[in-house]
This record gives sequence, C-alpha cells and structure tokens, in this order.
Amino acid sequence: MSGHALVCTQPLAIIAEQGGIVLGVGRREKNAVAQPQATTEQMMDQPIIVAKDVEKVYDTGKVRVHALRGVSLTITRGEMVAIMGPSGCGKTTLLNVLSGLDEVSAGTIVLDGRPMESMSDKQRTRFRAEKMGFIFQSYNLMPVLSAVENVELPLLVAGSKSRDARKRALETLALVGLADQANQRPAELSGGQQQRVTIARALVNHPALVWADEPTGALDSETSGDIMDLLSRLNREYEQTFVLVTHDPSVAARGDRTIFMRDGAIESDRPNQRPTGA
Amino acid sequence: MQDIFGLPVQTLMTVLLALFLVGAAIIGVLALRNTVMFKMGVRNVPRRRAQTALIVLGLMLATLLFSASFTTGDTLVHSNRVRALSTLGEVDIQVQSTRGAASQLDQLLGPGGRAAVYFDQTLVDRVRRALENDAEVEGVAPLVSESAPVLAPYSRLSEPQVSLLGVDAGSQAGFDRLKQADGAELSVRSLADGQVYISETLATEIGLRVGDKAQVFLSEKPTLVTVRGIYSEGGVPAAENSLVMPLERMQALTGNVGRINSVLITHRGDEIEGAEHTDGTLAALQPLLRGSGLEASPVKRDALERADREGGGFADIFTLFGGFSIAAGVLLIFLIFVMLAAERKRELGIARGVGMQRRHLVRMFTFEGAVYSLLAAAVGSVLGVAVGWLMVRVITAAFAQFNQEIVFDFQWSSLVIAYTLGMVITFAVVVVSSWRASRLNIVRAIRDIPEPRTSRRTWKGLLGTAALLLIGALLTVSGLSATSIALFMLGTSLLVIGAALLVRRLGVPDRVAFTVAGVTLLVWWLLPNSVSDAILPASLDDTGGIEMFFISGIMIVIAAVWTVIYNSDLLLRLIVALFGRVRGLPPVLKTSVSYPMQNRFRTGMTLAMISLVMFTLVVMSFITNAFAGIWDDTHRWSGGFDIRASTSYTNPVPDMTAALRTVDGLKPGDIVAVGSFSSAPVKAKAAGTDGEPANLNINAADDAYTDVVSYAFGSRAAAYKSDRAVWQALKSEDGTAVVSAITVPAKVNQEFGEQPPPVRLSGFFREDPIVPENTYIEAQDPRIGRVQRLRVIGVLDDVALSTGDVLVSQPTLEGLIQAPVPAESYFYKLRPGVDAVAATRALEAGFLANGMQAESIREEIDTFAGTNTMINTLLQGFMGLGLIVGIAALGVIAARAVVERRQQIGVLRAMGFQRSQVQLSFLLESSFVALLGIAIGIALGLGLSRNVIGGFAEQFPGVRYEIPWLQLLVLAGLAYLSSLLTTYLPARQASRIHPAEALRFE
Repeated sequence: MSGHALVCTQPLAIIAEQGGIVLGVGRREKNAVAQPQATTEQMMDQPIIVAKDVEKVYDTGKVRVHALRGVSLTITRGEMVAIMGPSGCGKTTLLNVLSGLDEVSAGTIVLDGRPMESMSDKQRTRFRAEKMGFIFQSYNLMPVLSAVENVELPLLVAGSKSRDARKRALETLALVGLADQANQRPAELSGGQQQRVTIARALVNHPALVWADEPTGALDSETSGDIMDLLSRLNREYEQTFVLVTHDPSVAARGDRTIFMRDGAIESDRPNQRPTGA
Repeated sequence: MQDIFGLPVQTLMTVLLALFLVGAAIIGVLALRNTVMFKMGVRNVPRRRAQTALIVLGLMLATLLFSASFTTGDTLVHSNRVRALSTLGEVDIQVQSTRGAASQLDQLLGPGGRAAVYFDQTLVDRVRRALENDAEVEGVAPLVSESAPVLAPYSRLSEPQVSLLGVDAGSQAGFDRLKQADGAELSVRSLADGQVYISETLATEIGLRVGDKAQVFLSEKPTLVTVRGIYSEGGVPAAENSLVMPLERMQALTGNVGRINSVLITHRGDEIEGAEHTDGTLAALQPLLRGSGLEASPVKRDALERADREGGGFADIFTLFGGFSIAAGVLLIFLIFVMLAAERKRELGIARGVGMQRRHLVRMFTFEGAVYSLLAAAVGSVLGVAVGWLMVRVITAAFAQFNQEIVFDFQWSSLVIAYTLGMVITFAVVVVSSWRASRLNIVRAIRDIPEPRTSRRTWKGLLGTAALLLIGALLTVSGLSATSIALFMLGTSLLVIGAALLVRRLGVPDRVAFTVAGVTLLVWWLLPNSVSDAILPASLDDTGGIEMFFISGIMIVIAAVWTVIYNSDLLLRLIVALFGRVRGLPPVLKTSVSYPMQNRFRTGMTLAMISLVMFTLVVMSFITNAFAGIWDDTHRWSGGFDIRASTSYTNPVPDMTAALRTVDGLKPGDIVAVGSFSSAPVKAKAAGTDGEPANLNINAADDAYTDVVSYAFGSRAAAYKSDRAVWQALKSEDGTAVVSAITVPAKVNQEFGEQPPPVRLSGFFREDPIVPENTYIEAQDPRIGRVQRLRVIGVLDDVALSTGDVLVSQPTLEGLIQAPVPAESYFYKLRPGVDAVAATRALEAGFLANGMQAESIREEIDTFAGTNTMINTLLQGFMGLGLIVGIAALGVIAARAVVERRQQIGVLRAMGFQRSQVQLSFLLESSFVALLGIAIGIALGLGLSRNVIGGFAEQFPGVRYEIPWLQLLVLAGLAYLSSLLTTYLPARQASRIHPAEALRFE
C-alpha cells in the first residue's frame, strides 16, 4: 500500500522532468525538445478540429433520440478544451463523433485538414492509430497485458518494431511515474496508477489529438489533481490538442476554454483563465 | 439390450429414473417455495435464445454419445434376435435326445447311426397330457429334422447343408405357418408324394423354381423331390436353407417310421413373449423326461440370451471407446456452467447485495441449469438415435459380405437410460458449478474484479492433500496386492499429484511444483514397455486391459495440460519471438495469446477436451494403420494354403488326390498339396477341472496337412524347439493336440460378448511362451463315454482361424472314436501363379455331388480386412464425435469472450485496430488453443501409441509402429478447420462491434 500511495502522491511533473522523456506531435527527435515554443507559435492558430452543424440521431426503431443538434465548433492545434454539461447532454456523443468513433447523422467534421465523411472505416481507424490517443474514465486497459504491454500496443498497431515499441513504452511509463510497475497487470495497480497507464498509452504514439472522457472521474481529488497536472504539462510542452469531457469544474478550469452543452447543443463556449503555476 | 455397463437394463433404468424423479421433485418443491428465484433463474432461458441454443448443444453431447452407443447395441441385439427368431419362429422348447453329440457322431459314421436319436412318436401325446393344464402352452408338435446336401440338377448348383423338416400337418396350431412371399399359406397336407416346399433362400441359392426337381442326399443315393412351393417364412426350426415335407414321408426317407427326433413346444404370445414361460414348462416336463434319455431345451431363451450378449458386447465397445468423448463432454458441461456463472457474476453479486443468501443463488442457478439439462438431455438422446442410425448404416455395409442382416432398432428403455443418465450427469455438474458460483465476494462480483488467489495454507487444503496422498498410497498397495497395474499406476499418480500439492504448501513455487509433477506423470505413464517391464514388479506384467487405455489417456492429458498451462508465459514468449516480426501481427498476436494464457482454467479445460479427443483419434489411427499391415501377410493367415473347402458328410470324397485328376479346369500340378480335416463331435473338458464336459467339434488333420501347414504357435510345450517340431509331433505322437488361442485365457480379458470356447484350459496364459508339461484335455466318446487324455503341445497363433478349437491327428481321432472318420474339410496349396479364384470355381464344379463349398483364402482375408477396417473407422468416427465437444467449447468461449470483452474491443478499435485485426485476434486466439490442443493430443498419441502398438506386436506378429502421417494431417486439419468455423461467427461479431457503442458500456 505504502509504495503505491507514495507513487501516487509524487508530483508527476517532477517525474516527467527526471525521466527526460520526449513527447510531442509527430515523430520529433529527442534533441528537438529544447525549442518547443517556436513550433507552438507557428501552429497555434491552425484549426485541428472543425465541426459544422453536426447532428447525431439515434434511431432504435421505436424511439428517435436527437443526441446532437447542429453543433459547430473549431479547436485549434495545441488547445486544451473541456466539454461540460449535465448527464445526457451529448458530451460523450460529441467526443465520439469528433474522434471518428461514431458517425454523424448530418454536418461535417474536418480533422487535421481531412474531412471525416470522405474517409472509410479503415482510413478513419488508421487515422486514429496515427493521430489520436484516448483516455477513458474507467481506464479500459487490457487486463491480460502488463502495464508496459498496454502502453506499447498503440505503437505496435501503428507498425513500430517490437523492440522500439517496448523502449518507448517504458520511457513513457517512466514519464507518468510507473517505471517500477511496468510489468504489473492492471488488476495489480491502483485506480490512479491505472489511469496513468491509460495516459501513457494515449500519449506514447505522440498523437496530435488526445481525447479524454472523464479522465479523473474514477479518481480521488488528490490523484485527480496529479493527473490534470500531468495532462496540462504535456499539453503545454508538446502542443498536443486535448479534448476533455468532464463533470468536474476544477478539471475544466485547467483547459484553455470550456464548452458547455445542453440538450445536444452548445450552450456556451468561453476561454478559461489558465493557471500558470502548474 | 438386457445389460448396460454390466448392469441389468431394468435395474439401471429404475435407479436412474428414481434419481431423476427425486431430483425433479426437489427442484419442483424448491421452485414452488421460491417462485421469485425460479422466475429469475429460468427467465434467462428464453431471453437469449442463441446462447440457450449453444448451451443446449454443448450440454447434449455426452447424452448423445450414450444414446448413440445404446442404439447401436439395441440394433445389434435386435438383429441377432431377428436372426435367432428366424431360425426358431414360435418354437420355444425343443425335446430331443440327450445324446446330442453322440447322435451327430452316429450320423457322421453312417446312415444307420441316425436311429439312435429317434424316439417313439407317442411321446408327443404324453407331453401334451403333461402340459394340458398349462394355459400358457399353445401347441405341441412332433418333428423329424435332418441336415443334408441338396442339388439342383438343372442349374448344377448345390447347397451342402440344408435343413430337412418332416412336419405333422395336424399339429400346427400355435406354430408358424408356411407362407409365400405374397402372404398366401402353403398347406403341408396338400403335398403329394415326392413333393416338397423349399425356402426362398434355398431357391435363390441353387436356382430352384416351383415344379423343378431337386436331389436330396440323405445317403449316397439321392432322393428325387419336386418343388411344389417356395415359402418366405415359417420353415422352423431350421437354418435359412430349408426344405419341408410331410412327417410320414420324412420318417420313411430316414427309415424311422413311427419315430421322431424332436418334440416342439410353443407358448402363447409372440415369438419373444413365448420364451417367458420357459421355466414353467421345463418344470412340468421334468417328471416325464426323467430317465428317458430325452431332455427339454429352452432353445428360444438361450438364443435370445446369446443375441443379447453379443449385441450388448458391441455396445460396450462403443461406450468404452466413446468414454473419452463422454469425459470431454462432462468437462464441457462444467465449462459452460462456469462461464455462465462468470457471465452472471455481476447479477449474482447484486442479488447477494440486496440480501439473498448463498443458497438462494445456488437455487436460482440450479433452476436455470435444470431447464438447460432437461432440454439438452432430450435433444441429445433423440439425436443420439439418429447418430446411432448412421452408425448402423456403416455397420450394415461392413457386414454386408457376411449376409448378416442388420435391422435398425432402439428400445425405449435405452432411450430413457441415455436421457436420465445424461440428465443426472448434467444436473450433478450444474449443482456443483452453482455451488461454486455462489461462493463469490459481493463487491468483487459487482465490480467484476478478479478473485484473489487463495491461500495455500488452509486446513481444508491440507486435509485434501493428505486425503489424496492416503488414497494414492492405498491404491498403490492394493494395485500390488491385487496385481492390477491400473490401480497401481493410478495410485502412484495420485501420490505424485499429492506430493506436488504438499511441496507447494511448503513454499515451492506453483510453476516448479506442478511442472515437475506434470512431467513426472508424463514420463511415468509413457515409459517404454521395455523400461516399465524392467522396473515394475513382474506380477503386474500384462495385467492391464482396455481400461488402461482410458486411464492412461486421461492421466497423460491432465499431466500435459497441467505442464503447458503452468508454463504458458514461456510459450507466449516463444510464439511472440517466432511470429513477432511478421508485419501487422505483433499487436494482434499479443492480445490473442495473452487472453487464453491468462484464463488458465478455461483454457486448461478446453485444451484438455481437445487433446483428449485428438489423443484417442491419433491412437485409433495408429491401431488401424498398424493392423492394416497384418492382413498383407496372406501366408500367416492361410497357414500356407490357398483354398479352403468343405464337403457334405453324407457324401464325402473317398480319395481327394485321385479325384482331383478328373476335375475340369485344373491342370496336373496346379495343386501342389492337399491337406484334409476330419471332424467329430465329442465331449471335452480341461483335465483336472470340475464340471461337465462340453460339446466340442474336434478336428483331425491328415499327414499332408501337418507336413505343409505353417501356422505359428504362441506357446509350445518345452520339449519342442520350433513350430515345425510341434506340427511334426502332432503327426507322429499319438494323443497329442494343439489348441486355438481362444481356449487359453489371456492375462487381460478382451472379449466383448463373445461366446466362450467349449474348452478353457487353465494354469497358464496364452501370452506365456511355454505350455506347462501336464496340460491335458479329456475328450470323451459321446456314445460310450470312453475318455482319452489329449496332451496339449501347442497354442496356435491368434490368426489360425481355420483349425478349430482343438486339432489332433487323424490317427488320434480314430483312436478316440474307434472308427475312421471321413474327411470333410480340405486345404489346397496351389502352384505359384495359379489363379485361386478360378481354381475355387473349378473345385466347386468338380465336386458338385459332394456339396463342395470352396473359398479362396486370400479373398476371405480381404473380406475380413475390409470389415475390420470399416469397423475401426466407425469406431474412430464415433470417437471423433468427441471433437465436436472440444470445438463446441471453443465456440462457447469465443462467444462468451465477445460479450466479456466488448469494451476492450471498443478500446482496441479506438486505438487503431482495424476490424480485420479484431477478427484475426479472435481467430488467432481460438487457433492458438485449438492448435495447442491438437499438438498435445498428437504428441501424446504418438507417445502412447508406441507402447500400445508394441503390446499388440507381441500378440500379433506383423503389427508395426508406423506413423500414419496422412491420417494425422487430415485429423489435425479437420479439427483445426472446424474450430476456425466455430469461432468465425463470434470473431466476425466482435469485428462488427462499433467502437462508440462498445465504449458506451463503460
């Protein structure tokens, strides 16, 4: 217990620095870490997600549920956007359609310059493998794989060699403070540790876009804070775009802006005052 | 069938029905008292119909195997009964002379001898009077029956053994009436002098039609008769080839006017019911027949019992060989319910959370299981009949060449037993798995958290280990004292397993403890024969029977699966290392091999099922292949002769060598040697044994036979250094005999419903190389009771099928009978290059008047080999039904995995797994288990077959250990393809899961 607790309460940012690990968009080399700001400024204004008049209707035959009603939004590269709203307002549905996990009933979504409707399931899947990472509330780790095997899986899917994938997975696990737990299976890890494995898995492939559905929903407030510190830092340092669905205002407050939804539509979309000391 | 597993059908059915009804009553009462639980339990059945269908399919397999075995047995019993009834009809009891063997001998030695077995016809009236108050007796009739060759002059065809029946037209009440194929009755009373009726079979065999003349050879001078009609039924008691004439005419022909040689008695009821009153009639006749030299034989009851024994024996073979599949079926039942419990885990946890007791969960689960069991046993028992029908078709084809009519049949009692047996087994497993499912931790169940590993140091565990060791020790000791290798090996194996559990308690890691135990068991059970013979106590040599095949199969499969499962991580690494470089494969491979290796219990059970069945199929393939070779050695089977022939005793060939010169179609020198057998019925028993001597047809070889014959001996008297020396001694030493292998007991009884030999020697086994010095058979002249001791100097090889049970020289037989006995059987050795089939035809044509029936021995061997191969293939096919069990297990697991891993599939898809990769992952997962199971099965089969074939080779020279590569490849390919087909649908279903839908289940 004590070992796990100690790890959980360690400041993740410090661990990340000690690890000296590189994370970023695309396949940047290690020596490129020194000047991330230059690229940030150049890319910050480029939209990475553009959704226009997106509608999503679930038709069960007996009932038609209008989950999204004409949602339009633009998210620029490197932004951390929080989506909030009451249960059933369409937050997760929006995340699903934006990420290409689900299809829209109407409207258009352009991701990184590519219209989603023009992509086949195969192309969308490949796009996800190359450009996206996912963090889920209930972690959704493969129970039969160890932490490091879970983390290396996206790399293997993307075609990395086993040895390289293992190396990078271990580095990423070290970044999230789980170097010592690399060979443990999810059932042997605490909730916070499992969520950090999920984060490592989402980030190991240097995705341009990270989708997080209630990333701290299953965690206590202290661990939740640690996780958000880590996500904020990664977002800031490696220009990855984060889209977070959350119920927690304190989590939403860590983003650049917060979109409020109600009844399948965007009620408000306003920038946050981002804390500076994280 | 009258017996199943050696138990009377009625008893077995009563016990099983009682168990079933008690179980049903308990379930019924519990259901009434817990209607909510009952509804909660059974609502799952109609709710998921596809899953219910899959479960029922899986559960029914054990029942199906029982039902198919029993149906096969019923069919063979029924066919044997039909055959028996066709020769006896309504005749239940036959009163004849007690001088059965003597009378045959009298007949053999001359026509005048026949008179000895005839008695005054007035006995019929006395029998009627003795039975007149017995309402069960329907008819009493006199009969004269003889056997003689019949020749059709027009077609030049003959039948050497035709039953001639002299029937009293006035005594036919209650007995079978002669009927034509169109159902019209034929009246014996209407037959004019010289007219006869003949059976349809005889008419077909020798080409006789109504109005044709036929010659009957009741003596050297034939009697000419005219065929008045042809009957298709009613000519009883007789073989298929029969001829009927009025009683008085038959008496006159045989020179026995006013005398008969049988009194027939029939009871009320149909042909089978009639046998039931046998004891009453026998008792009523006892005072009348006492001291008369006559006896009443319960011919119907004896025939039915023999039919039941033989048919039941066949069913026993199928049940025994199907044992592995049934074991696999029971494993599948357990697996299905364990998985069902896993699926219901959350529901059960919630139920416990809201206040249900464990017993409530057991009941709820049991109610559901009871419905599945009822359905599965019903479907399985009915489908088993269908499978049995298919098997009967194959058996019919196999026996077609022997004119054995197989009539499909199943008894309701067998169906009830198959149903209740399947139901009771399934239900017992349901109760055990329900109890197991109820022992859950509420929080872990609701949150679907894996159960922690249990402590190694519980008292219960220690007691279990101690009990296992104690049972192991007891079995080992009793195996040694009872000289049973099965008990000994089982005991020592339990000691090994107990030791593994014990050292594990002392802190030895699981992997080490179980791997060492698994490997030890494998080595122990697969020791080569030479090594096991050297290290095991000599008293245990050759004490293992067919049950050892079953026990060793189960043990080595358990050991192998154990070893593999506890070293799965090494296997996993090896696979990843081997295939990890294939483009696109690593992520798929990683998940597909990790899941089965993590779910050790499920994987272990499935591996056990597949490997168990594959193992048996592989061993069967080896056996079939090994035995295929022995048929090639014609010389060994034929004893050096090419043609076997028999002639009628009523018209023997006085000088065969001279007569051969006149046979058309045979050139001088075509036949290089002719040996002959004389045959005589005697009474005999092993010297020094108690009991009455039995009827034995003793054969006597002439010098030409013993000079040429090359049959080998399994055992020889110590004085003879070679097989030839034994043959030479048989010829030159008066009073010596050689016996067939079946007359000497085997160390392991491998007879299934076979008729025991009339003489059974004791004091040694057929596996022993030496015949003990004082081994004698006491042969008795049945006419005068004079006894002669025959010294047994050799036990023939198993394949010497034409020698009969006891073979002596002709001078020895003459010494015993005190008269020369004419030869009836001939063995011809042909010059190399002479066509045996053509020579056979020439011989039959040349000795037509002597009623010669000749067969090419090679043709006989081929027929025998074909039947043998077909039966082996059928057995293999029956055992292969078990493969369905293993494959169904894979299907069940795959279907369950799709449900269980829905979210994980969603994550994989979100992560970038293509649909095809998800599908491939599931297929690879099943492939991994299937291929591993197949590989284990084949490896174990290869290992054990060496010993099995080695054992057979000692008994049957010519049996060889050869790997049947093609068969193995086909088996493995079929098994693998079937497993792929089974998992294809769940895999496809998994690949179709929409990621957003799957993740919504969070």
